[in-house]
Amino acid sequence: MTICVNDANAPVPGNARVCKRILSCLTLAAQVDGRTVTTIEGLGRADARHPLQAAFIAHDGLQCGCCTPGQICPAVAMLKQVADGVPSVFAGDLALARDEVRETMSGNLCRCGAYNGIVAAILEVASETAA
Amino acid sequence: MKPLAYSRAASLPDALRDTRTEGHRPLGGGPLQLVDVTGLSADIGATADGGLMIGGATTNSAVAGHPLVRARYPVLARAILSGASAQIRNMATVDGNLMQRTRCLYFQDVKTTGCNQRHPGSGCDAHGRFRRHHAIVVGSTACIATHPSDICVALAALDAVVHVSGPAGTRIIAFGEFHRLPGDTPTLEKALQPGELIVAVALPPPTTEVVSAYRKVRDRASYAFALVSVAVIFTMRDRHITDLRIVFGGIIPKPWRALRAEAARRGGPASDQAIHAAGIAEFGQVYRPAGRSATPADYHTPTHLDVPEIEVMWTAIADPRSALGACGIGEIGVTGVGAAIANAVFNAVGTRVRELPIPAPRQTDFQPAAIARRRHFIQLGI
Repeated sequence: MTICVNDANAPVPGNARVCKRILSCLTLAAQVDGRTVTTIEGLGRADARHPLQAAFIAHDGLQCGCCTPGQICPAVAMLKQVADGVPSVFAGDLALARDEVRETMSGNLCRCGAYNGIVAAILEVASETAA
Repeated sequence: MKPLAYSRAASLPDALRDTRTEGHRPLGGGPLQLVDVTGLSADIGATADGGLMIGGATTNSAVAGHPLVRARYPVLARAILSGASAQIRNMATVDGNLMQRTRCLYFQDVKTTGCNQRHPGSGCDAHGRFRRHHAIVVGSTACIATHPSDICVALAALDAVVHVSGPAGTRIIAFGEFHRLPGDTPTLEKALQPGELIVAVALPPPTTEVVSAYRKVRDRASYAFALVSVAVIFTMRDRHITDLRIVFGGIIPKPWRALRAEAARRGGPASDQAIHAAGIAEFGQVYRPAGRSATPADYHTPTHLDVPEIEVMWTAIADPRSALGACGIGEIGVTGVGAAIANAVFNAVGTRVRELPIPAPRQTDFQPAAIARRRHFIQLGI
């Protein structure tokens, strides 16, 4: 799982947005030549966590941790995409409601079932960002 | 891993030339020398006749989010957003969706020997076996795969046309003729000729006073292929349907235009009875190949959308049988299995199991009086 951020100076193939989440397992490294790629390692460090990483810890948004990078990266991009007006199947007014988060995060499976904590963490960061 | 090479097509002529070369395949259409065609036309624009032209390399996200699509063709936006996940919709393109291949488990398994799509003439292993997600209408003995796309169901209902370009020039294919039924030649899935690429998909002007909907039934609430989906577009006047189009997805190898149901409903009243009659008109003869339809393999990991809010409640009553006095802490679904087996051994033998793994009972473990007592308690339901 990656977030792909386009380099402003690079040609933008297709209709890529400035920041969008994509699947690393479907992407050849050569395809993102000229773009900036952000993975979980680029979001924060142990001594300087990204707000969403801190929120995942605070809300118990994980058990085994296997899916956690894959939950946090697209959640960061999702908050950005909502700000950009990218719709989901629920979005009438594009308000970031609980169901909206659940639908648009459904591409990331958690075998432990930590979904409630994950959604709580995302909603907290979303409200802090909006405030 | 197979060695592969990659190049990015800068223009349509480049793409047509490169993809025609022996051993080259378009990326964005399907994988070797990969020619990346995802950088080609991704424009969405109104056409002179009031319709819409969507570049073949446009991503699903971009189509679903486009103001003209949302305002004039909501059924298309809804179908796209009902499919895959947000990150896949960011990568998937319109032409890739038209070209996508079946999710038949027997086709996907590269070791499968009996798949007429992979190896023409080798037969179809799906017949008579696990056949979830397989065709239920217009069966072919050669292939019972289904087309998995959501977007194509909406495009078929909207009477879209496909613009293709190839060695012999450009041409237009009606959407209903783009995907082929398997018949005796299941390898010929699409009407594309060798060397042709999809350039764009064009939508006719939207009908005014039209109602449209897209519904999808799947194994979980999100991020799953359709067991069945349907796009419906209709016009009502004086409580009568004057025009309608019904297209089903997930039941045959192409979007299924329900012409018999449409004919039964057109001009008629919009009543429950009439809708029921239309269903019988369309599916009176449903194809039912032999085989199983539900096995433990149907198990799906739930998504975010499947899991409701969970309220955790704490009990203040200590359990004297556990060292810490705690009640029911742990992964209940897992711990219950071991305990049930240990209890079953206790019921049969009469001696409590106190070690793991459960040892085979010795002669001295059998306690007839205890077994009789257990039977008594079991009869009482304790």
